[in-house]
Amino acid sequence: MEQSGTSTRLQAAVQDLASGVVSALRGGDHAHVVPPVGTDGEAGDLAPAAVRVLGADALLPGLLSRTPPDPAELAVFRKAFEAYPPRADAAPTVRWSHWAMARTLRRADPSSAEAPDEPDTAWLDGATWQVLTHQLAVLAPLALPGEDCAVSRLAEGRPVDVARGFVRAVRRRDWRQAAGAGRWLTLLPGVPETVGLDAGLDFVELMGGQDPLVALQVQAARRMRTGARG
Amino acid sequence: MTAPAEDLRAVAGTALAWVDSHRAGFALGEDALAVDGEVDLSWKPLGELAQVCATVTRLTDPADPLHARARGLLDFAWQETHEGALFLRLQRLEPFATYPLEVYAALAAAGLRHPAFEQAAAVVARTRGWRLTEQDPTRRLGVLRAEERCGVHPFGQAPPGLPQTWLGGLPEPWTFGRDAGYALTHVVFHLSDWGCDAAALPPDLVAYLSDWLPPWLDTCLEAGMWDLGGELLAVAAIVARTTGESVPAGDWGRLLAARGPAGEVPLDDRDLDEIGAAPGTDGDRYFLHHYHSTLMAAFAAVLAGARPAAERPAPAAAGRRPGGQGAPA
Amino acid sequence: MRPDQIVTDELTGIQAADIEAALDPVEADGVYRDSRQCAGLALLSGGGKLLLSPPTPRPKKG
Repeated sequence: MEQSGTSTRLQAAVQDLASGVVSALRGGDHAHVVPPVGTDGEAGDLAPAAVRVLGADALLPGLLSRTPPDPAELAVFRKAFEAYPPRADAAPTVRWSHWAMARTLRRADPSSAEAPDEPDTAWLDGATWQVLTHQLAVLAPLALPGEDCAVSRLAEGRPVDVARGFVRAVRRRDWRQAAGAGRWLTLLPGVPETVGLDAGLDFVELMGGQDPLVALQVQAARRMRTGARG
Repeated sequence: MTAPAEDLRAVAGTALAWVDSHRAGFALGEDALAVDGEVDLSWKPLGELAQVCATVTRLTDPADPLHARARGLLDFAWQETHEGALFLRLQRLEPFATYPLEVYAALAAAGLRHPAFEQAAAVVARTRGWRLTEQDPTRRLGVLRAEERCGVHPFGQAPPGLPQTWLGGLPEPWTFGRDAGYALTHVVFHLSDWGCDAAALPPDLVAYLSDWLPPWLDTCLEAGMWDLGGELLAVAAIVARTTGESVPAGDWGRLLAARGPAGEVPLDDRDLDEIGAAPGTDGDRYFLHHYHSTLMAAFAAVLAGARPAAERPAPAAAGRRPGGQGAPA
Repeated sequence: MRPDQIVTDELTGIQAADIEAALDPVEADGVYRDSRQCAGLALLSGGGKLLLSPPTPRPKKG
């Protein structure tokens, strides 16, 4: 697929941001995952857009470790949320991603406005397991322990289908989709044991982990899985 | 996608008609007993023809044209072996080879038997050396079933090697690949007596296969692996005889779209130019690139489309897993 | 368009459409290549024909 120069620069900024989230999730420093407002150069300029693309996961390390976010990080996150609302004809994943950011803002800063009403899930009614898994993988930031929404309830009703989608994604060597689906599988009840999720996450990381967006989902899945067992 | 049961009968009819019109490709030829004969080009295709036709005759009514076509092909295959006499001659030449017994067992499943060969095979099969023949666990299972079919052992023993097969070990389903796929389909074929005894599949295998056949089918068909796709559709049909699951219409649609002008199914999506390096005429190569996949499509279609109603459990009893239902596949 | 968005866009050239495209990606094409078997080392297979036979065709991208 031909990418415009702008979109290539945006993707690079998203990858950088994801790398920071990954090292924070691994237990490293996470004071400066998000470049603060006023950072000089392109990284600073692109930060709000990159945060908007990474969505709620930009604040995932603090959310999982229940650490209050750095105020500067929070400011960029809020700026990204406010600067890029979904357009009127936006796809459902764009709306849900924005809604997830609102929910995260509210968690990180209770003085923020309450999250707006959830978008609907009509576009997933009767979706094949292939389409369902692809869309859930795109919406992996919604897969969080103890957090409920219409998308997560829908996923909970189709654990075998999401597990099938994970198998399909690994077979197709679509590591991003596999990693996102793997993260959902750590949360869903009723996933067949034979899927071998722990080995599957290791395998996806081995094959696709050089892509920070894959590593982020695998690391998130591991953290959530450990939390669920502990 | 329309209700496929009727369509699948037509698919089976067309595929078997192509096979019937290519009988010459299945003929044993002069080098069937030759020391340098290519058994994979002679005995193997004949055995596969017999195996598929045996199942077709056992699952269809004698008045059914499909049954008559399959019976005719079995008679042809039996004639090619000189009514079984060639098995005895082959055994004298290669007493410790397992393929003569395996091919014979396919014909014996259709009631075509040669008592002198069975007695001779039993003598060899009693040796420790025969029992210790080093083969893949899946192949070993097939030999064990062939021995049962020929009276060397009683029927229905729990196969000792099942846990050593890929499928029997219930592996992570995302480790599936072509070789694992062919191994697993054959484990199911051997355990279920080539689809005629679906109830013999252990329940844990049925549950495992119900869960993971959909992504295996989907990815094989996307990759243009029509032959393995047909085998997986046959496995799905065997599993469905226990679970009552519906026919995966979308997957069938993709396989059928790959068919050639006379209803023949290619092995994979390679161009015929790419396989042109093989010996023989264009016709030979075309036959070798199509005969097995076409047989498998007929086999799978008969299993899926000719399910006897008595064997079908109430659909409500099946598929009540937390998910995996309610959405088109 | 909000004033702060205008500022961002002037600085970076990032349009809402770029962001929405990144948030609604199409599925990547599947890539397939099956494992092969290499004959056991020091095992004479097929009377030595193995070394003369053509390589297994590489399965194509699906």
